[in-house]
Amino acid sequence: MIQAALIGNPNTGKTSLFNKLTSSYEYVGNWSGVTVEKKVGQLRDKTGQLTDLPGIYTLLPITRDEGVAVSYLVNESPELLVNIVDASQLERNLQLTIQILEYGKPVILGLNMIDVAKSNGLAVTPEVLAERLGITVIPLVARTGAGTDFLLEQISLPHHDSPQFNLNYGDRLEKAISLISRELMTSPPQNTDISSYRWLAIQILENNPVVISSLSSYANLNQLLAIQKNVREEFISEGMTESLHDHIRSIRAEYIHQVCSEAVDASGKKPHSLTEKIDAIAAHPFWGIPLFLFTMLIAFKLTFDWLGDPLSDLLDGFISGAFSQSATQLLIAVGASSFTQSLIIDGIIAGVGGVLVFLPQIFILFLMISFIEDSGYMARITVMMDRLMQLAGLNGKAMIPFIIGFGCNVPAIMASRSIEQPKERTLTMLLIPLMSCSARLPVYALFAGIFFVRQQAVVVLSLYVLGIALTLLLAKLFSLTLFKDKHSFFLIELPPYRMPQSATLLRSTWEKGKGFLRKAGTFILGGTVLIWLLTYFGPGGSNVDMDQSYLAVLGGWFAAILQPIGFGTWQSGASLVTGFMAKEVVVSTMNIIYHVPDMPGLQHQIAQFFTPLQAYSFMTFVLLYTPCLATVGVLRKETSSWKWTLFSVAYSLLLAYTISFIIYQGGRLIGFV
Amino acid sequence: MVLYGNTSCSCLLKLQPGESGCIRHFGHMDPILKQRLADLGVTEGADITIMRYSFWGGPVTLECGGQLIGIRKHQAAHIEVAIS
Repeated sequence: MIQAALIGNPNTGKTSLFNKLTSSYEYVGNWSGVTVEKKVGQLRDKTGQLTDLPGIYTLLPITRDEGVAVSYLVNESPELLVNIVDASQLERNLQLTIQILEYGKPVILGLNMIDVAKSNGLAVTPEVLAERLGITVIPLVARTGAGTDFLLEQISLPHHDSPQFNLNYGDRLEKAISLISRELMTSPPQNTDISSYRWLAIQILENNPVVISSLSSYANLNQLLAIQKNVREEFISEGMTESLHDHIRSIRAEYIHQVCSEAVDASGKKPHSLTEKIDAIAAHPFWGIPLFLFTMLIAFKLTFDWLGDPLSDLLDGFISGAFSQSATQLLIAVGASSFTQSLIIDGIIAGVGGVLVFLPQIFILFLMISFIEDSGYMARITVMMDRLMQLAGLNGKAMIPFIIGFGCNVPAIMASRSIEQPKERTLTMLLIPLMSCSARLPVYALFAGIFFVRQQAVVVLSLYVLGIALTLLLAKLFSLTLFKDKHSFFLIELPPYRMPQSATLLRSTWEKGKGFLRKAGTFILGGTVLIWLLTYFGPGGSNVDMDQSYLAVLGGWFAAILQPIGFGTWQSGASLVTGFMAKEVVVSTMNIIYHVPDMPGLQHQIAQFFTPLQAYSFMTFVLLYTPCLATVGVLRKETSSWKWTLFSVAYSLLLAYTISFIIYQGGRLIGFV
Repeated sequence: MVLYGNTSCSCLLKLQPGESGCIRHFGHMDPILKQRLADLGVTEGADITIMRYSFWGGPVTLECGGQLIGIRKHQAAHIEVAIS
């Protein structure tokens, strides 16, 4: 069994390749930093395991996800490294390759995106690279899968040779390297499994914090650092201003330049004319932002008015009609008790079915997010929005997690890792729950479908905009009061545009939407059964009147508190409490409480209990009140702080109450009911 | 050392969109940003082109070695270029 790892610069197609080489599926996108956590998969021919690492430019980490890749090399010592390089950006990519070659384990070089290189007029000769670097080089097009079978064959070979690569860093550094290596050799460090002391020595000279901290228990660490300090001082005394790391990099760059001048024929080089043409419109200094907002509006129109609703109605007709009827007939035929019948029909089918009917809207939304992710537009959005975000104390890069957050807050919080500054990262994570995720969509679709039939998309869009506006205001407030560090940092690579392939798009939409289906089968199903049981039993026994049930008692505790914001009924209280499990459960609960078989019936019921103003206040409350259980879990994990996690729950509850109060009471003052 | 002869050296932001220069030095740029730019191949001696400025003083889009990079204007202002 071989243990191999994929390593390379960000956005070079490692994850696409990972999906082709293993039988698993991971998230892909067209920006730097999609993979934030290492992922392990079984090789397709079952000869071993492959690890997908977050993209890095160098082994010297800046962000947290880069640290993941480096500590993997230090602590887990894979047998084989598969280095993926972008053939159209070879010089930059080879910086990492050299560090990997020095690591001393066998390396296979995957020369990816040769199609892109070719269309840019670059002719790369793999044989020359292979000969100069002393390793196997395999040309690839990971998006289409060309070359991946051969790569898999090569990975699965029983034996791989270690590279004999040795770049000379000049007398002074070479002396320091051999001093450090000798020190390491005479008393080897206990808990590391590094095959090359030369590599370790160079990393220490480069002052790599992850490598140095992995040696923290090593007794002679101070001697090693003293050697590093000495050589640095020698250089300074000679008038050199650059750091050792910069010096080492420029020696590597010189060597790489020489290799590339032999291996790459750039005589036919062409500019990215298509990308430039699209950017002239899509990233226009003035029209870019209105165009982005217009794109979002179209996305909403598609999700709600044009496509989502008609499909949703069809699905509802099926679930509440044919499906429910056959289930009832079947239950009668097998002689199920009235308890079982009621549990299945009034509980599970009403509750889970009531959420499943929103499947079309949710999938359309995910499809659109996937398109934005895969096309390369995402990075442009961060540039256009950076100024505004900066004024609010955030970073343009926060746009990526925010947009992902419209789909689901959980991966959005994970995606915040690519933000370099800890302050901006924490702030972004705290505010992501204000991005209206797809789970809140069924609530809006239900209420807006009743009270705002003709302006449905606009009303729903207003909620999204409210969430964004509050995000910016709170970002300013929090960054002025809670965080002292004012330092900010913004750099983003703008990848060339590419037309997302329909197979990839469908796949990534499905992978995102699958989470919703899984939730329907677990949290929502479980919640529904629990809620139904709470309505069936009460202090007075079983099969009680709904108003006498345990759920009514539970909801009643909150009714008085919710009165000033417009929905002081036990029904609202109960659905909001159960909605903490997953926000779709708000709709499931209402389906059970109002005891109706289909959407029109539920709409009729709700129309009697709410006024349009109360409905809007309720939707606002659902938008803002507490992140769901799964989001709270991932917040705790990513902030590693209960303080911030609880803060996030507390501020959002307070915010939801305040804003709903203003909307409801303000609305009443100006004459709404 | 590279000699630039009669070329003039000035702030990158003096360039109009579409104009290029050769990077002379990075001045007092944020060291982390400087390191990340170096990782992307944006180092002294590299040719750099201004692609686009943003509305309202937002980030500037640069092209270097065939790749597009966005950085904030006040950081880009540290870059000194030689215009030939």
